[in-house]
Amino acid sequence: MKQKIDIKKRVEQTLNSLDGIQRATPRPWLFSRIKRRLMQQDEKTLWETTGSFLSKPLIAIAGLCVILMLNGYLLFNQEKKSSPATLISQNEVPLDSESLMASSSSFDYENLLQP
Amino acid sequence: MNEGTLIEQLKRGDEDAFKTIVDTWQNMVYNTAIGIVQNEEDAEDITQEVFVQVYQSVSSFKGDSKFSTWLYRIAVTKSLDHKRRKKRKKRHAFVKSLFGEEREVVYHPPDFNHPGVVLDKKEDAAMLFHFINKLPENQRIAFTLNKIEGLSYQEVSEVMKTTLSSVESLMHRAKNNLRKNLEDHYKGIG
Repeated sequence: MKQKIDIKKRVEQTLNSLDGIQRATPRPWLFSRIKRRLMQQDEKTLWETTGSFLSKPLIAIAGLCVILMLNGYLLFNQEKKSSPATLISQNEVPLDSESLMASSSSFDYENLLQP
Repeated sequence: MNEGTLIEQLKRGDEDAFKTIVDTWQNMVYNTAIGIVQNEEDAEDITQEVFVQVYQSVSSFKGDSKFSTWLYRIAVTKSLDHKRRKKRKKRHAFVKSLFGEEREVVYHPPDFNHPGVVLDKKEDAAMLFHFINKLPENQRIAFTLNKIEGLSYQEVSEVMKTTLSSVESLMHRAKNNLRKNLEDHYKGIG
């Protein structure tokens, strides 16, 4: 019981330990340091500004997502273009015997037919 | 020179007005920052950032609150941002250590001693600051502004842009949390 009272007393003593607290003060010549900081900010180059903007986590992640989506879209398009049905419909190569022979031997069959 | 004139001059970029503002309010800003971040170097850094922001964005101060209220808000915001950045760095260092990249030594600072605390209360105050640091953010802000900066509940509500009853509730909960944590601590060592 006595210990409980002691603990309560100690707790209240600790809670009141900030009574009479004075304000903390910064080191002297703060204004000079602030002025210097303002000047340094003005001197930031375009690269530093761009770099610090791009390195913000949200911006970097958003940029990465855009690049990945673009890559995915391009890959998807590429696959569509290179599928056999698409190739044949795009090129419309007549399936006669000369063209078949030319395609198998890389012979420039089409230019031969032009005047 | 009254506050309104000073602010108008600062909006015109007057350096003397800016120096007067810094000289007048530096202790208030520094004390607020040190109460929240509990580190003298960080508080100094934050104080500089606050006044840089004041200089750069004074045109956005419309006068619908007191200038000191506006300053407190910037100081509190910058202090909380600083704490969050430090927490992220700590977490990042911890994750790196899991992968064996232990180049950085994680520094655990000793208990914080506020320079303005009365000498015979320093030990108790250091213990109190330790548990203030563990309070939820809003409770910590309200308690710091009231107990360390000496603001009334009404003034705290203006800084935090909330109601008086909310501040009363925050303070009540903060004190209860601190009591409980202190009791557990003293029971543990008793």
